[in-house]
Amino acid sequence: MTDKNVFIRPCTWIYLLLMALTFVTWFIGTMQFSGLQISLMVLGFALLKGQLIGDYFMGLKQVSGFWRWAITIWLLLVGSLITFAFNLTA
Amino acid sequence: MEKSKWPPGDLVIWIFIMAELLVFGVFFSAYAFTRANHVELFNTYQLTLDRNAALINTLALITSSYFVVRAVAAIRNDNSQRCFHWLLAALFMGVVFLVVKGAEYQHHFAHGVNLSTNTFYMFYLSLTFFHFLHVILGMVILIAVALKAKAGGYSASEYTGVETGASYWHMVDLVWMVLFPLVYVMR
Repeated sequence: MTDKNVFIRPCTWIYLLLMALTFVTWFIGTMQFSGLQISLMVLGFALLKGQLIGDYFMGLKQVSGFWRWAITIWLLLVGSLITFAFNLTA
Repeated sequence: MEKSKWPPGDLVIWIFIMAELLVFGVFFSAYAFTRANHVELFNTYQLTLDRNAALINTLALITSSYFVVRAVAAIRNDNSQRCFHWLLAALFMGVVFLVVKGAEYQHHFAHGVNLSTNTFYMFYLSLTFFHFLHVILGMVILIAVALKAKAGGYSASEYTGVETGASYWHMVDLVWMVLFPLVYVMR
């Protein structure tokens, strides 16, 4: 298989998905939707985007061991702390 | 494809990336927990931020990251000139980010906003400016990689430098993916 098939093409799809999720997040912000559930949904999009960047753009999908999960661990930690903090005000 | 034990690029940059992520993680958590005690203040002043500018900046960083992906693909195919051109395109998107963010700062400063205005602006200015500095550092790294690529310093058999610069730039993008919704959208 060529590099285009195994590397560029998946990254192009991921790029388009990242753009789409960004527009959804922006739309929610522009409409000034608020509340815990909306906030956590937006945070979920952010964590998904981060995971996709780690997996595909940074190439961690092709790595094994600790480094495979380094970005995931960071995202889960930060995501959990932000979720907990936002829950305090619910 | 067989999986590697090590991430792309120099391992040192990954240790640096993890340290940077740790600092940003603490910053994000501090923002969220401080907000919990000042919800009304944060929600009120969040509305003064320009979400359209943040959208442009997010699209610019994602596009820039994608261009860097293409630069890595180009050097894997032993095409250093194409690698150089993709890196130039990525740098252009970095400049877009700096210009838009600079305009945002100018707007706020013109209205008398500074670090002492209130807790929300203290976090907004310090968090985004800390990230702004990382964009500049990432661009300096990309310029160094681009110049070496232009000079033919990388090839399909040796492109660790390109992957190292790319990894750092993706980290700058990754951090913004959390910063944008946290500061501009979540309320």
